[in-house]
Parts: sequence; structure tokens; C-alpha cells
Amino acid sequence: MTKRIRSKIARGSGELAILSLLAERPLYGFEIAKQIGERTGGALKFTLASLYPLLYDMEKRGWLEAQWQANDAGRDRRYYRLTSAGRRQLAPLREEWRSFFHALDALAGVSHA
Amino acid sequence: MPDWKKIVSKHLGLKHIHEEAVCELAAHLEESYENHRSRGLTEANALAETLQELENCDVLAKAIRRRNSEEGLMNYRTRWLWLPGMIMMLLASLSLMVFVVTGFRETLIWRAGPIVLWFYGPWLASLMIVGAAGGFLSKRERASIRTRLAVVAPPALLIAICMCIFSDLSALISHLNMILNRFWWFYLTIAVANWLVVPGSALLLGAAPFLWAPQRQA
Repeated sequence: MTKRIRSKIARGSGELAILSLLAERPLYGFEIAKQIGERTGGALKFTLASLYPLLYDMEKRGWLEAQWQANDAGRDRRYYRLTSAGRRQLAPLREEWRSFFHALDALAGVSHA
Repeated sequence: MPDWKKIVSKHLGLKHIHEEAVCELAAHLEESYENHRSRGLTEANALAETLQELENCDVLAKAIRRRNSEEGLMNYRTRWLWLPGMIMMLLASLSLMVFVVTGFRETLIWRAGPIVLWFYGPWLASLMIVGAAGGFLSKRERASIRTRLAVVAPPALLIAICMCIFSDLSALISHLNMILNRFWWFYLTIAVANWLVVPGSALLLGAAPFLWAPQRQA
């Protein structure tokens, strides 16, 4: 697999992960990275350098909007929330990934690997 | 505790106009560092782990620069400075107009020919509310204290200029010789007090609670 394809898969999975998390509630960058790591058992891991370009891009496309507000500890954090455009992206993205995994499973039996 | 903002700015080669991104990333690193420390890592190891997050950050730096150039410096200043400033100017002018139209008169404190010192209580009180509104708008955007002060200044300056021109102009013209020859400095002092110092102080007083509220920080 070329680096380019790997990067696209990583990007696509990152978008789905972020949209899914933010569909539950608004979160700031560190929380997003932490929850993705925890909830995927470390399989998906975002560093600062990989997370924020994605967030900024999704914000630019109008899927997310961000606002500064204090977190529970009283510190200012930039919270990201899903816009209606972002919410509309979620279902087709899920479907796209489901089809992708079905196709890969049919080909390589990855779900039983 | 390391200066995360400095670390982010240096690693990513970011400048003042990227302040929002620097604050956001610095906050991320700070929390990452604290997370490592809470897991029992030494300060040095926690710092090393945290700094690993900044590896391969070329794409991130480019994304931030592109975002800022697209948003534009003007947009950045608009939210922090011009919009609150313009709203304050509008409110200050409107409130004066309303008081004049509804018949509230200024209180004459002292007069010597064309030189008048007066006190416009209701308007000055309304200016404190206007100042508070401007301070709040600027604070909401977490602007720096310098910017918040700059937000309060334009209405005071504009009011001073407008009033000096429109209100005192007739007095100035009719007594031009006397003013120019004998009392120009006194006339100027009174005009500055009437239209700049007193309204400006009222605006500042209203904005004061918001001037020292915390800036955006990690």
C-alpha cells in the first residue's frame, strides 16, 4: 500500500472518529485525541501534529465550529461542536466505511483475522 | 512549568497573528504534559513525551498559516477591535441623540463667554453602560488588555472630534478673535475636558471590570 493511500485512509478514519465523537457532545482538541485513543484501545492515536490540521480543515469545510469557553478546571479551551453540515456528513461517511470494511472482509476476511 | 506558548511559536514558526492557534496548541501540550506527569513520569520524561507531539508538524504549521491568510488579518482585527469599537461609537452617539431629543439638558457648571464647562449626567451614566458593552464584547473574544483599551478609545476620540467640530464650532467662529488671541489654550483645555476626558473616563469606568478579566491563556 502506498503512503498516499495509507494517508487517505488515516484521514478518512480520523474524520469519522472526530465527527462521531462530536456528535455526542462538544469537545476540545486534547479531549478529542484522548477519547479517540481510549475508545479505540490505542489503535487510533492522534498527536497534536496530526489532529489539528484535520480539525482546522473540517472547520473550514463548515463541518465543525469552534468557540472558546472555560472547561471544568476553569481554563480556556477551544471547544469544537458539530454543525448541521457536519451532522449531515456523518451518515454517508459511516456508510462509506461500512462498505469499505465489507469489501475488505469479502476479499481478505479481515473481520475474522 | 514550561512556557508552552513559546515552545509552540518556536517549533511551528508562528507569529503574533497566529495567537489563537498558539493558545490552543499550548493548552493541548500543557494538558498532555500534566497527563504524563499524573501517570508518574518525571518532569524531564513528561516533557520529552509531550514534545514528541510536535514532531512532523510541518503540515500543521502550513495549515495554520493558510487558515490565517484566508481569514485575513482584517478579520482577526475586526472581531477583536473594530467591531466592538464601532458598536461603542454607535451606542454612544445614539444615546446622546436620544437624550437631546427627549429634552434632557446638560447642567451648566461654569461659563465665560464662549467657554462653557458643563456636565451631562444621564449621558455620562449611559456611557458607562456603553463602555461596559464594549469591554464585554472585547473580553468575549479574549482580546489583550491593550486591545480592550483600544476598543474604548475610539468612541471617546470620535465624540471629542464631532462635538468640537459641530457643537463648539459656532462659538469658536463667533469668538474666533478672542479665542485665538487670548484664550485659545483655555478654550482647548475646556473642550478636551468636556468632550474627551469626562466621556472617556465614563467609558473607561464602565469597561474597567472587563479590562482586567483574564486574557486567553493556556
